[in-house]
Amino acid sequence: MSKVRRPLTLTAAAMVGALLITSCGSSDGGAQGDGKTLKLWHYEAPNSAMGVAWDQAIKEFKKTHPGVKVEFEAKGFEQIQKTASMVLNSGNAPDVMEYNKGNATAGLLAKQGLLTDLTPQVTKYGWDKLLSPSVTTTSRYDARGVMGSGNWYGVPNFGEYTMVYYNKDLFAKNGVQVPSTFAEFEQALAAFKAKGITPLANGGAEYPAHQYLYQLALTKADRGWVDAFELYKGKADFRDPAWTYAANTLSDWVKKGYIAKTSSGAKAEDAGVSFISGKSPIFFSGSWWYGRFRDENKFKWGSFLFPGSKMTLGSGGNLWVVPKNAKNKQLAYDFIDITMKKGIQNTLGNNGGVPVAAEPSAITDPSSKELIENFNKVSSQDGLAFYPDWPVPGFYDVLVSATQKLITGSASPEAVLDELQKAYDAGAPTS
Amino acid sequence: MNALKRFPVLTAMILGAAFMVLPLLIVLVNALKSPAEYSANGPLSLPRGLYLNGLTDFWTRVDFGNTLLNSLVISGSVAVFGVLLSLFNAYAIGIGRIRGKAYFLAFFVLANVLPQEALVYPLYYLSKQVGLYDTRLSLVIVFSVVQAAFGTYLLSSVLAAFPKEIIEAARIDGAGTWQILWRMVVPVSRPTLGVLLVFFFIWTWNEFLLPLVMLPSNDNQTVSVALGVLQGQRLMDATMTNAAGLLGALPALVFFLLFQRTLTRGIAVGAVK
Repeated sequence: MSKVRRPLTLTAAAMVGALLITSCGSSDGGAQGDGKTLKLWHYEAPNSAMGVAWDQAIKEFKKTHPGVKVEFEAKGFEQIQKTASMVLNSGNAPDVMEYNKGNATAGLLAKQGLLTDLTPQVTKYGWDKLLSPSVTTTSRYDARGVMGSGNWYGVPNFGEYTMVYYNKDLFAKNGVQVPSTFAEFEQALAAFKAKGITPLANGGAEYPAHQYLYQLALTKADRGWVDAFELYKGKADFRDPAWTYAANTLSDWVKKGYIAKTSSGAKAEDAGVSFISGKSPIFFSGSWWYGRFRDENKFKWGSFLFPGSKMTLGSGGNLWVVPKNAKNKQLAYDFIDITMKKGIQNTLGNNGGVPVAAEPSAITDPSSKELIENFNKVSSQDGLAFYPDWPVPGFYDVLVSATQKLITGSASPEAVLDELQKAYDAGAPTS
Repeated sequence: MNALKRFPVLTAMILGAAFMVLPLLIVLVNALKSPAEYSANGPLSLPRGLYLNGLTDFWTRVDFGNTLLNSLVISGSVAVFGVLLSLFNAYAIGIGRIRGKAYFLAFFVLANVLPQEALVYPLYYLSKQVGLYDTRLSLVIVFSVVQAAFGTYLLSSVLAAFPKEIIEAARIDGAGTWQILWRMVVPVSRPTLGVLLVFFFIWTWNEFLLPLVMLPSNDNQTVSVALGVLQGQRLMDATMTNAAGLLGALPALVFFLLFQRTLTRGIAVGAVK
């Protein structure tokens, strides 16, 4: 036994030494603001539309900035979400970074003074001229960190909106007409139900369910209603006709079997997979599914805007932000400008993304064309109504549990709406 | 049926093992599927052919070789330092019989139950003050201390039961405090130390929150943080997540198998007592 001991302790000591040296060597100081490196962080998958387009933007940036090194780091959404305020408050902040839009995210960082005010750059480069008003709402934050007015703290590169995805093959096979009005839409749902098919894919444990709810309310809403709810310009009343109609209709749809009661516990991923595998003929959700459906759907499919509604869920996409502690801000502005140019925007559009400033003629893929035309239509008629979980911190979880109760029928629509009202009033800023 | 009657324990164990292995098997199966196949047939179907792109894509995307090295360096250092620290503490408390022993132990237990979320901000500010933010060394220090809190608690009770005759005999032979520690206490309690070493390594390997917060650059990232890269805002890439899970769990599994004997020895030692 004692013979074994000596070499063991020796190796242990050697290991400790080696480990110490390597772990100490990692603390290389941050690069100085020499204009020679651009530190870029984003969290889009490399094969997504944004991933592809921004990769091209990096190449273009290198071409126009010879001698500048681009240090790109792929991050996770959660990672940036959880650590942003700490990283941006240190010397290790990147020069330009993708960040989630909204009061609780970009608004909060802006309020804390961690982001650079981009207003001078926006007018200098003319980015504001490329973006429609409902897209720019999420770029501007006032001193309270509330979006919609004030300085520019971010620039969106893409847009997102919700639409009705439908399985053309299943529609044809069951002899169901593609609806163009809300009445026809409900007829189509009834027709599928009559054939024994649950028409709507739903994930009650995550965002899809309350996006149905909000969309139904939007069929009875206008911009003033949205501004009251999302931007606190007026009083949001959950017992008003729009919300009441939405809650009653959704609970009605479940009773009629258009939405499966069992979907109350399903995740968004489950809802998407049930559409991809051809089980559900219709899925109402966002443009973020578009690329995946294009790659994986083995049937003919298409999309249309929610019938009978001028407004739909959506907004400008995630923002490019420049941290206050960024070392090479000019390079960051140059990079943002490249991503706003036609070339990158067209690439975004041709890969299943929703560009904010592409040339419609340069989009060659026909299904992408449909996607972008629909976005431009909503955006130009000022129809982007954001997302229902935005106004109040923690509202997402309230919405999920409230719509779950609606789906399982464990609470009446009125009780559900009162629950939402209570959470909203508790969290909304009073001023 | 006969076997069921004759080996009830064995059958129960086999069932239990199958139950434990099943999730890992599902991960393995889905890691080798293409995303289209997953979407079409669901997570429980068997793959039709080998699809390795998920594994290789993930490997290159997060520079997994480097990430693996980071995790090894951090977990390895923590295991060694944590055990050393626990040993010194426990030697003082368990054998040295210092005054207020119970309070010290209570303090360590308390440190043990402290949620890590409460430590995040203090650690962030402290490490920024001393210039250790975004270095692996900061995590090695933090986790050595965190793990040593548990290690001290455990080792103290083990060493409190250390046969005093041996120590007294050594003392009569002229051994000092230091010599008693290295020549007597350490060799005798080596199995326990081995177990602690393995536990510290695996626990540190699995840590997520503090590495996430303390190591923002990808160059310093650990395996568990790298797995989080795949969690999108609204979408998840199920097959690649499985591939990543497989890659992330394998090293810890290998480490466990390598030190399996240390573990069983440690457990057996306790049993004989």
